Amino acid sequence: MRRLLTVLLLASAAVGISLPARAHNVLISSDPKDGAALSAAPAVVTLVFDQAVRQGYAQVGVTGPDGAAMADGAASVAAEKVTVKVKPLTAAGAYVVGYRILSADGHPVTGKITFRLTAPGSAAPETAPATAAETAPQTASASASDAADSARAAEAAANGGAGMAVVWIVAALLLLAAGTGVALRRARPADAIIGASHEDASDGEGRA
Amino acid sequence: MSVEAPPGRRVRAFGGGAVAGVFLACAVVSAVVASGLTAQEAVPGIPMPGPVVAYGLPVVRVVLDLAAVAVVGMSLLPKLLGFEDPGGTEPVMRRVRPLTVTAAWTWAASALLTIVFQTAELNPGSVPTPAMIADYVDSVGTGQGLLFSAACALAAAGIGLMAVRFGEKVPAELRIVVALFGLLPIPVTGHAVNSVWHDPIMISMESHVMGAAAWAGGLAAVTVFVAPRRELLAAVLPRFSRIATVCLLVVSLSGLVTGLGTMALTPGVELPGALLTSEYGLLVVAKLALAALLVPLAAHIRFRLLPAIRGGAATAVVAWATAELAVMGLAYGVAVAITRASIG
Repeated sequence: MRRLLTVLLLASAAVGISLPARAHNVLISSDPKDGAALSAAPAVVTLVFDQAVRQGYAQVGVTGPDGAAMADGAASVAAEKVTVKVKPLTAAGAYVVGYRILSADGHPVTGKITFRLTAPGSAAPETAPATAAETAPQTASASASDAADSARAAEAAANGGAGMAVVWIVAALLLLAAGTGVALRRARPADAIIGASHEDASDGEGRA
Repeated sequence: MSVEAPPGRRVRAFGGGAVAGVFLACAVVSAVVASGLTAQEAVPGIPMPGPVVAYGLPVVRVVLDLAAVAVVGMSLLPKLLGFEDPGGTEPVMRRVRPLTVTAAWTWAASALLTIVFQTAELNPGSVPTPAMIADYVDSVGTGQGLLFSAACALAAAGIGLMAVRFGEKVPAELRIVVALFGLLPIPVTGHAVNSVWHDPIMISMESHVMGAAAWAGGLAAVTVFVAPRRELLAAVLPRFSRIATVCLLVVSLSGLVTGLGTMALTPGVELPGALLTSEYGLLVVAKLALAALLVPLAAHIRFRLLPAIRGGAATAVVAWATAELAVMGLAYGVAVAITRASIG
């Protein structure tokens, strides 16, 4: 029993240290800020978490005062930051940014922030940023996809991917084999004494 | 002896199914209620998983936990029964061994089903395809942990089948180690913290999971299979009582360390206020209350009933143990919710 406990403690220590368990992501800031009153419509909403968000599965929705979906395209993840482009916001009022991301510990985390647009956005300033926005996203999206690729690779390396599962299973099988070896060696001398009664018991089962 | 027989038989009829049923019912109800109360509320503009996933996931998850508890408990039983008197213990073990295999299969199946449900949770509005499940297992540690747990459960089922055929020639230690090994990846499916305290808290969680399984499983196995045989119970309960005392200490201490440590290390969480304001904190308080409730129940069995049982007298131990198992079931249900509740 003592040997068993030692094996278990060592195993749990080894597994506990090597397992890639992560923490729950927490939203720490955003742009625009939660509850902010803005006079100019934002072109992009950025959510910042306390630690890197998982690639994939991230969803951000922007809902206008009239209930229309104002997010433009899918959310992109760059380490702690999740950004989504926003269609030109024209109506003044309360906007809700809802998010559902895959936390580093593998749980979906949902939440929302709100901001108010105080002045109705005019069409005029749209043209000027549009040209700037035209060129900027080009480079931004290129670098973003690069960043996403490298982030994905780093994540896979940290996590081990499916390879890690294979390592665990092989380790488990090795432990099983060692345990069986130890247990059988210990059982052998005892077999001489109680083996006979066990023989009877299993024979009885075989017939029944 | 003939006078004693009818009450013994009645106790046995109450034993088996009813004790396990109370444990299962308490755990499922508590898992659904606690998960429902702490579910993340829908946010505008984001599709959320449907009710099948919202209610199915906690149920599947708690069935996984209870099946693992059953396997651990029934694997501990040969150690508790001892090997000196095969004539007395073989009838019990002959019932237990096939049930261990069934429980191990249930464990493996519910672990795989949990992977499917968690994939569905991340892809709301669509039925998970094999490709989505493979992607989930490949990219999320929880999926790998559950897969590993399922593999250990299958190994336990295989060893259990060998035990059905070859009896106690299959070492009991092997069965216990395989069952407990399958529990090791379970904490990965919960929360962790990013700090230098990561490793101590993970080890604390591992001891929590293993201690709870040995405690609840051992108690359930002893109550269901041994309590109806008074002379056997007189030998087994004192042995289990020693294990249970250690488990009580380990589980409460590791639970406190894990719960409070995780909260203290999460940014934006202020202790002790967050204990009452955050969902995670409330669940920690609920588990503390349940653990506190277990202490008098366990103490009654240990200090009042045990001396009488050792003397071979009839006691109401099955009723008291069932009450203790009901509280443990509630705690397991809350545990399902706590692994998923948001901390902040």
